[in-house]
Amino acid sequence: MTAETEKKCFKAENKFLVKSGCKKRMWRNLKQITTAERALPWPNDAVLYYSINAPPTFKPTKKYSDISGLPAPYIDRHSKLYYSNADEFATVRSLPMDITAGYLQLRGANTIVG
Amino acid sequence: MEPDDVLILKDYKTVPDIVHEYGPTLKYGHIPLVIDNGSYQCRVGWSISEDPHLIFKNLIARPRKDRSKKDADPPVTPPIQIGNDIVNIEAVRFQLKTQFDKNVVTHFEVQEQVCDYIFSHLGIDSEGRVPHPIVMTEAFVTPNYSRQLMSELLFEGYGVPAVSYGVDSLFSMYKNNIEENALIVNCGYHTIHIIPVLRGKVIFEHARRINLGGSEMVSYLHKLLQLKYPVHVNAITMSRAEEILTQHSGIALDYQEETRRWASGEYYEAHVKRVQLPFVQPATATPLSVEAQKERKKEMARRLLEINARKREERLAEDEEQLNQLLSINDMVEDGDADEFNEALKGFDIKSYEDLQRQIATLQARIEKTRQRAAAAAAGRGLRGRGRRRRRGGARRAGDVCSRRLTPPLSSSGSRTLGIRLYNALVSAREARRARRADMARRRTAAAAERMRVISHLAAAGDDFGTRDEDWDAYKSISREADSDSESEAERVSLLQDALREHEPAPEARTRHQLHLAIEAIRAPELMFQPSMLGSHEAGLAETMEYVFKHFSAEDQLLLANNVFLTGGCSQFPGLKERLERELLEMRPFQSTHRVVTAANPSLDAWYGARDFAGSNEFEHWCISKEDYYEMGGEYLREHHASNRYYKSPAPIDNTLAPAGDANVAKEEIVVDC
Repeated sequence: MTAETEKKCFKAENKFLVKSGCKKRMWRNLKQITTAERALPWPNDAVLYYSINAPPTFKPTKKYSDISGLPAPYIDRHSKLYYSNADEFATVRSLPMDITAGYLQLRGANTIVG
Repeated sequence: MEPDDVLILKDYKTVPDIVHEYGPTLKYGHIPLVIDNGSYQCRVGWSISEDPHLIFKNLIARPRKDRSKKDADPPVTPPIQIGNDIVNIEAVRFQLKTQFDKNVVTHFEVQEQVCDYIFSHLGIDSEGRVPHPIVMTEAFVTPNYSRQLMSELLFEGYGVPAVSYGVDSLFSMYKNNIEENALIVNCGYHTIHIIPVLRGKVIFEHARRINLGGSEMVSYLHKLLQLKYPVHVNAITMSRAEEILTQHSGIALDYQEETRRWASGEYYEAHVKRVQLPFVQPATATPLSVEAQKERKKEMARRLLEINARKREERLAEDEEQLNQLLSINDMVEDGDADEFNEALKGFDIKSYEDLQRQIATLQARIEKTRQRAAAAAAGRGLRGRGRRRRRGGARRAGDVCSRRLTPPLSSSGSRTLGIRLYNALVSAREARRARRADMARRRTAAAAERMRVISHLAAAGDDFGTRDEDWDAYKSISREADSDSESEAERVSLLQDALREHEPAPEARTRHQLHLAIEAIRAPELMFQPSMLGSHEAGLAETMEYVFKHFSAEDQLLLANNVFLTGGCSQFPGLKERLERELLEMRPFQSTHRVVTAANPSLDAWYGARDFAGSNEFEHWCISKEDYYEMGGEYLREHHASNRYYKSPAPIDNTLAPAGDANVAKEEIVVDC
């Protein structure tokens, strides 16, 4: 305890820190903050956090083999993984479900939509 | 393979920070304190010092309360570890917290802990307040809400006299004496910013941010390696992925071309990087050899036999004893001693004379049988071992013949490959059959249709079905169960496996714990240019730059392109500068010029820039004083050349009706809809 009081001598009291057990303040995450910010009637010239997001890509996205990263012209209908040659196809077919799901998730292709 | 082209992971450990000296010059000198509060690292130092005093990862580890020790009298709460206190980050990976959400501070409880850490490690001991102006970096276009809370913390929590906020990449730009026109490309831990600066002015409305940075690359590489090596899933840690990314990765000049090159086996062999994971040398006392195991088994069998023999002898002795007693009773009858006889019968629980006779007979038979068995066992002990050995030898010879037929003597490497090929053929044939069977079980597959065809043929087959042996194969082909000959095949497969294992040198433990880093080394950093590899729909770095260029006149574009300034921790990948030059060449008009400049110290120049800023004469004018804070509110920002622009938050649309609170806003919307 002494160490703690000594440590905090440069400030009178805790501002946001709460003792364990006390009710914790809920902190807004960035999304909530920007949504709230967006809802305000800003002047037209104001540049805000959400307004400088990068534009969506207009170039066709390249496909790469999930397992090796090589350019992949093919897609395995079964697991939906991309592959680049026959050897890789054999590998893809032998992969267990959790690995294929992991690859899809990594590519952000595990959602049903799209 | 030479052992020295294997990359050894360093597994960097942090060194806990010391408490720095807080001398009188600092204490009474009103010296500004410079904090580069980055989402990856925090760098802290005085404006008069050469280098930052503290550099630590902006993380805290809050240990969970130990439930098992709940009953312990003084409740043990392990201390919170902050920054460089965390020596082994992997041990507390799941308890890590950061005050950042992306590149913006949102969790101010953690921020307060980090500030406590900073001030205590600088040795500040003034009573009740921190008597130093503070220069703090904030994200480009920080939301007012976040700045408001930060000011609240600094002014009210620590009693700071003045604060000045600036943008890290702008500080870095001024540090590097970039002229008044530049296109800043700041690659951070969570974001990449592209900020145009023209005639000394930041063009905020045309700056863009790609929501992707070092942390995404690290976790991408981490996941990629874990999926590639599921065996080493625990050894591939986040910090190791980070080390591989920072030390052994780079940006490809032409990613498409480079990946195509990796497709060739020779290129792979020549360029693959082998990363050694730590491993434990298997204990020298290897599990018993085959011979020893056989020996032990034999020993056990012998002991079992001995036990059986002993038991048999005991039983024999018991039976003989009983027989003797019964015979003596029988003698009594012959002697005509009726009373004694009846007593004895009762004692032995025997009903009558006939019963006695019968028991004697069974006992005699049993003794005879036991003796015979004992004799047989004694005779067989010597003989059986030999016999069995002979039999086993025979079996082995048969096996040898079999395997030789399949894999002619495996001693030479050529025949080993032949063996491997045979083995692979067998296994793949089996796999194919299994797949076909699985297909047959499903509807509307070619295999199922073929099966139906065979069945209908069978139904239509004439009386001569079955005269030829091949006819019966039809049943085998339509059976969904494991086919009958798979047993012999399994035997052959295991035989081949044994033979191959015997002749193949087992890979060393060292090589088994190596990660092969092929395209991965350029694949993770490539995310910068192709966020689509993560499933993101955002444009990559080059495309966003092109987009930013489009908003300017041709002359201004040229000014920007001739001074592309690269900064931020993630800009240190080898090859990034060259890649950007190539991309510029591609996107810029034919024969126009361009130039890419890299910051002298991409990760620390923001701090150096902020330090110079704090040491300049006009610093006083760029600070938000305590009075400003109370008058203008927490979100107030005093603008300067390296700061964000300040837009006062407008009042919500209908302030009187709907004060603050999301519930009211929602209600209002419903009213509007009606």
